Amino acid sequence: MFGDLRRFNTNQSQGMDWFQQFLDEFFPESWAADIRSVPRGSFPMINVGRTDDAIRVYVFAAGLSTSDLEVNVQDNVLTLRGKREVQLPKAEGEERRPYFRRERFSGEFARSIALPDGLDVDRAEAHFRNGVFEILLPKREELKPRRIEIQAA
Amino acid sequence: MNDVTKREASREVATRERQDSALLPLVDIYEEDNALHILADMPGVTREGLSIEVDNNVLSLEGEIQIDMPEGIAATYAEVRAQRYARRFTLSHEIDTEAIEARVDSGVLHLVLPKKETHRSRRIEVRAA
Repeated sequence: MFGDLRRFNTNQSQGMDWFQQFLDEFFPESWAADIRSVPRGSFPMINVGRTDDAIRVYVFAAGLSTSDLEVNVQDNVLTLRGKREVQLPKAEGEERRPYFRRERFSGEFARSIALPDGLDVDRAEAHFRNGVFEILLPKREELKPRRIEIQAA
Repeated sequence: MNDVTKREASREVATRERQDSALLPLVDIYEEDNALHILADMPGVTREGLSIEVDNNVLSLEGEIQIDMPEGIAATYAEVRAQRYARRFTLSHEIDTEAIEARVDSGVLHLVLPKKETHRSRRIEVRAA
């Protein structure tokens, strides 16, 4: 599944992430960053995969429902907008509960990623399961890989 | 011959790496009078892929990311680069580990850690003299 993604782990392993973060803080953008890239750990996290006939975007957005995410494609830019309210069950006669950790994202978010050319946006589909949105963006017919027959002379 | 052993060694390294690499799920932890609550973001984890254990007052949360992906998919961009989530917490002795409850909904794990009867907070009435 995501075993494949490890190929993109060019020079850091997961365990080194804290160190990478530390470095990022002190030496921001030592290489040219993508104009739409975001800092590590932004919500929601996104993976993009490619097959012969489609691009698949996986949005890791736990706690959202299908109506909480707005998916837009314009000029080959995919924009995801939404809101996640982290709500507490209200206790009787108690204004605030003591919080020991508040790490989970709460509030509005918007993220954009650039898509390759030649996608058929009209046939795009999106599904939501177990906190992950899967957006399927099929390629246009003419851009699918084609086998070319070699004819005997 | 040499080739075979080399390949086996690299495969061993690959599996070990996969076991080691786990994402740290982000959590909210708050306290109520009778229990502590943990909310953990674990998108892609189903009920079957979850494992929650308490060993020696250490609570460990683990979840396998299970997503149906088509054969032959190649990653072009990846922020989630692991197969699983893992995080550990040390519990204090007043938690009733037998009574811990867990549920998962849309990739959010909600754990309720009830306090033992003897440690629950009590309101103390102040009587007029």
